[in-house]
Amino acid sequence: MKTTITFAIICFAFIVSAVGQEKYATKTGQIDFEASVPSFEEVKAANSNVSAVLDASTGKFAALALMKGFRFKVALMEEHFNENYIESSKYPRATFKGIIQDFDISDISGKSDYSIKGTFNIHGTDKEMEVPAVISVNGDTVMLTAQFVMQPEDFNIKIPSIVSNKIAEDVNVFVEFSLQKQ
Amino acid sequence: MSKQRIFLIVLLLLAVVGYFGYNYVYQDHRNIKTETSQLEITAPYLLERFKTNDAEELLNKTITVTGEISNIEGDAITLEESVYASFDTMNTEVSVKDKVKIKGRCIGYDELFEIVKLDQSTVIK
Repeated sequence: MKTTITFAIICFAFIVSAVGQEKYATKTGQIDFEASVPSFEEVKAANSNVSAVLDASTGKFAALALMKGFRFKVALMEEHFNENYIESSKYPRATFKGIIQDFDISDISGKSDYSIKGTFNIHGTDKEMEVPAVISVNGDTVMLTAQFVMQPEDFNIKIPSIVSNKIAEDVNVFVEFSLQKQ
Repeated sequence: MSKQRIFLIVLLLLAVVGYFGYNYVYQDHRNIKTETSQLEITAPYLLERFKTNDAEELLNKTITVTGEISNIEGDAITLEESVYASFDTMNTEVSVKDKVKIKGRCIGYDELFEIVKLDQSTVIK
């Protein structure tokens, strides 16, 4: 009797998890950030190999960017970003894990505004944030774009005073994920 | 020494400093395509090394990875579901199941997909 019940529970768990799997993912998400100050060299980088996974049944969203994948126009700036600021050898990844609030994929028509609540981990430091996002669905593709502002000091990234007037305090971040149904 | 002479020397010095300074600040990006590879490794073994945290020294290095193509999407090739190599521009025609050698810059381990990523790759063979 006991084994039957256990078996039934295991079966049920499997069925629930199978039904609950409605995953969308991408390995080619785009993150751009810019911290330029007018009349100085632009401080701007792009990474087009960002991974992201969305569980459409629960609204759970996760993204991961490899810091060494950020490319700058000026090679020396890229080197400083990696070695002095983001310390990408010590902290190679930046991640986000969160939940899209009130997410129901069947509700989405056209471009809908959502809010994603979750935790960023950058430079080994966690920070909870709520980020506005625009989501649209086109067949088997979920498009998620977001634009927000971050502050380096929130992630324990120190900008030396000698260059601080050339790097903006607010870093504008643009993200774009085209998530394919798995 | 005449004033004119000092002026000329200072000007020359400034020009030299300016030239080297400019070249330092606006130095060229690395060209992964022409760099010599630091290591040749099979795709599953590279993944294994990252999973067991034995690959930190490979970050940012130019390496050569061998394996069978398990997937091609856009400008990227996946080798044996272990290594994801992205190309600035795909330089050769390849198809799934081909055995290839890819040179690229190792940018790290992606925990979401459990895959190692390379960028600025080129197919060598």
